[in-house]
Amino acid sequence: MIRSHDDLRSLYRTMLALGAAGLLILVLGLVVFLRFAPLGQRTGLAARVIGVYAYDPVQRTVAGPAATRFPRTQPFAARVSWASLPSGVVVGATWYDSLQDPAGSVGPAPAARLAAGDGLVPEHVPPGLHGNLPGTYTLLVLRYADGRPVEILARTAVVVEHGP
Amino acid sequence: MIEQAAYKRRWRPSRYWLAALIGGALFAVLVASSALSIALDSIPHRASLFGLPAIGLVVMATVFGLRAFRDREPAVRGRDLMVAGVLFGLGICSWLLVLDVFTFTQAAGPGVAAVSALACLPTTGFGLLVVRRLDRNEKEPWRLVLVAAAWGAIVATSLVIWAEALWDEGLGTRLVPGPALDVSSAFSAGIFEELAKGVAVVLLYLTMRDEFDDVVDGIVYGAAVGFGFNFMESITYMTHLYALYQPEGTSLALAAAAGQWYQRQVLGLFLGHATYTALVGAGVGVARQLRGLHQRLLAIASGFLVAIAAHFAWDAWAQFFPVSPASPLAVAEVHLRILVMVGPFTTVLLLLLGMGLHVEGTALARQLELEAEAGRGAVLPSEVAVLTSPWRRLGARLAAMARGGPVAYVRLARLQTAQIHLAMERWHRERQETDAPPAAEEALRRRVLELRAATASG
Repeated sequence: MIRSHDDLRSLYRTMLALGAAGLLILVLGLVVFLRFAPLGQRTGLAARVIGVYAYDPVQRTVAGPAATRFPRTQPFAARVSWASLPSGVVVGATWYDSLQDPAGSVGPAPAARLAAGDGLVPEHVPPGLHGNLPGTYTLLVLRYADGRPVEILARTAVVVEHGP
Repeated sequence: MIEQAAYKRRWRPSRYWLAALIGGALFAVLVASSALSIALDSIPHRASLFGLPAIGLVVMATVFGLRAFRDREPAVRGRDLMVAGVLFGLGICSWLLVLDVFTFTQAAGPGVAAVSALACLPTTGFGLLVVRRLDRNEKEPWRLVLVAAAWGAIVATSLVIWAEALWDEGLGTRLVPGPALDVSSAFSAGIFEELAKGVAVVLLYLTMRDEFDDVVDGIVYGAAVGFGFNFMESITYMTHLYALYQPEGTSLALAAAAGQWYQRQVLGLFLGHATYTALVGAGVGVARQLRGLHQRLLAIASGFLVAIAAHFAWDAWAQFFPVSPASPLAVAEVHLRILVMVGPFTTVLLLLLGMGLHVEGTALARQLELEAEAGRGAVLPSEVAVLTSPWRRLGARLAAMARGGPVAYVRLARLQTAQIHLAMERWHRERQETDAPPAAEEALRRRVLELRAATASG
């Protein structure tokens, strides 16, 4: 005697229902993705990061040559050539630490206003710590629209070394 | 015993070829990943030294493999091939372990990595123990449960490193920080990690059909893979955060690592990777007992879809709404968000497990009754009620121990296990979902009778 598969039907149907629910969640995710990263946002603009330098937070100046590695107790800042961008474009720049948390920024503001300043984007030591976190720090120069970042115009990274 | 009886060479169906194809493709990906690790200098050259045992195992596997092809005697050839396969698998796992250890833990050093691993072992072991015990009728063999966990810890983590890095390079670096990047990262983790873990369950389904009976077994193997993955991932995060905060002081570094341990090995032990991959296992387990190919594929696809969605939902949520350490409700938030986001998926999984246990229990009770009615001596009418209840089985074993000591306990346990194996075999045969030769059932029956004789003589 061969029993029918009726006893498994409810399991099979539950599995299909879960699969459908999973698909719905993933489609919702895709909708969110397209909402916040709509197609056609690229303008072809590109900003120029001149370099990353050792930074004196008291004097608010940079010193020495551009570098890609820093001791963790050495503050640093990037110099961005804002003047190379159209003056009316709203832009900003943000450092992200090795945990991908924001670690210092300038803007958003029209490029002309930022170009009138020193062009520096200093990073900030995370609150409660004595030095920067070791690892890779990434600077993103971003274009803004309606108050939200919509395009990456430049990117650079430096390494904060392990050490005391 | 089942293995010997069920799958003689001439009965091996095409699923072994499918498994070999999947295994070959994975091996190629792992070789490419391994070569890339060394080419990009992310693995120090001293790793080669630690990898020597792995090379030795692969050499030994080659020797046995060649010997198998030379040998004309099928029994000897089969044994050599088995040894070659096991040695080869051990060699690959050893090498991947070396790569994993260097990739994930070198920043903090071997001491911190070892302490992190020791901290995660008891919790992971506890998880495996609990999940294995949930399969109350026919527990899966430890060797397969541990192989599943090892796959999750070693193979799956190796598979996802480059997949996620390539996704990040191709898409992540083009997205501005914010919801789109968060969703992209969550998609990457959900898709690649669940595929890398789930393929272990699929391979077990294809190659170990005798030990993969139904949805309950699928959930057990899937969860085991998840525990293994969670084990390695916990060590990775613990060592990473320790290395980041160590320059600020050992106490801060320890607190950061301990926080990760608590989140991943306590809060997220069951509500995390174990749940996700168990959902894949549930889909594969349901497919195990379906006849139509399209139904089987739909069930497996559904398992993967819900697992990927569950993983995606958690990752996206955690990134959209991070818990601020400064918040006075931070501790409550950390607990609540995992309950709210993963809890429903775990609840659904427990529902599937309950349904599976009900179907399995009903089927086994019926088969045990039929076997007892047949009067062949393998199952006696008086034993049916005991065999269908885990508690009564335990009670009978304890009573046996009281009469005849631990040896009597072990003998009765073996007898009960063999009787349930027989009932399970009858169930699969009745449903025409086994490709074992009919002699397999008779061999199991003989085995039960031998064990009964041994129990009686003791």
